[in-house]
Amino acid sequence: MVRRRRPVAFARSGDLVEVRLGDEERDLVSNLAGQFHSLLTEGPGPDQRRLYPTAYPDDPVRNADYADLVHDDLLRSRLEAADVVTATVGNDTLEPDELEQWMVVLNSLRLVLGTRLDISEADEFDPEAPDGAERSLLLWLGMLLEEAVEASLGFLP
Amino acid sequence: MTGTAMPDIDERLAEDVGEDVHTDRPWIVLVWNDPINLMSYVAFVFRKLFGYSRQKADKLMLDVHHKGRAVVSSGTREKAEMDVFRLHEHGLWATMQQDD
Repeated sequence: MVRRRRPVAFARSGDLVEVRLGDEERDLVSNLAGQFHSLLTEGPGPDQRRLYPTAYPDDPVRNADYADLVHDDLLRSRLEAADVVTATVGNDTLEPDELEQWMVVLNSLRLVLGTRLDISEADEFDPEAPDGAERSLLLWLGMLLEEAVEASLGFLP
Repeated sequence: MTGTAMPDIDERLAEDVGEDVHTDRPWIVLVWNDPINLMSYVAFVFRKLFGYSRQKADKLMLDVHHKGRAVVSSGTREKAEMDVFRLHEHGLWATMQQDD
């Protein structure tokens, strides 16, 4: 039987979610949200390809139409999510929909970072590898996202 | 399985309007495995977007993980495209194609 670890980042508290991150962790999240916002506004790049996936793999014409149609919406929703995180990073509690925006940012950061690190299923974590710091960050963001999901389950209808 | 009761009606309509019956085949939405997304997050997105039970969401997530992909929804092209967009918004790798 695996004992459930006490949450260190997010914990449901009635209708709200308690944020248990320390000051340094909040600074890091704030920094990352800002970097994410800048990256998004720089324009598309190879690190962002997981943020704008293909919809019609067998039909390049239809896919080009889809990509044109959704690009601005996908970009805007992520910018808004980054703004919410920046605005609430110092909060003691979050509303469920604010936590959802945190999840968008956390997951998007993982997608960009994972793409940059060229993560594969077979990867084994080696903290002494040259990209060890980034891999640690990927794991830490994953832990935050895992706890955010856990805290959000209770709010599903 | 959706749509299995429709083909006879579709064929008669298609003959009436002279259209290719194949354009009425339903579209399916697939989610593909990837090495970055967390299993718990993928299952959560299925529950949030489609209202699936924990059991169904976990089964679909495990199919994605072990089989490489799973069909998570189906319908008209418009509906499938909307589902793909919502999945993309949540960072999942989703594609769509016509059901065979």
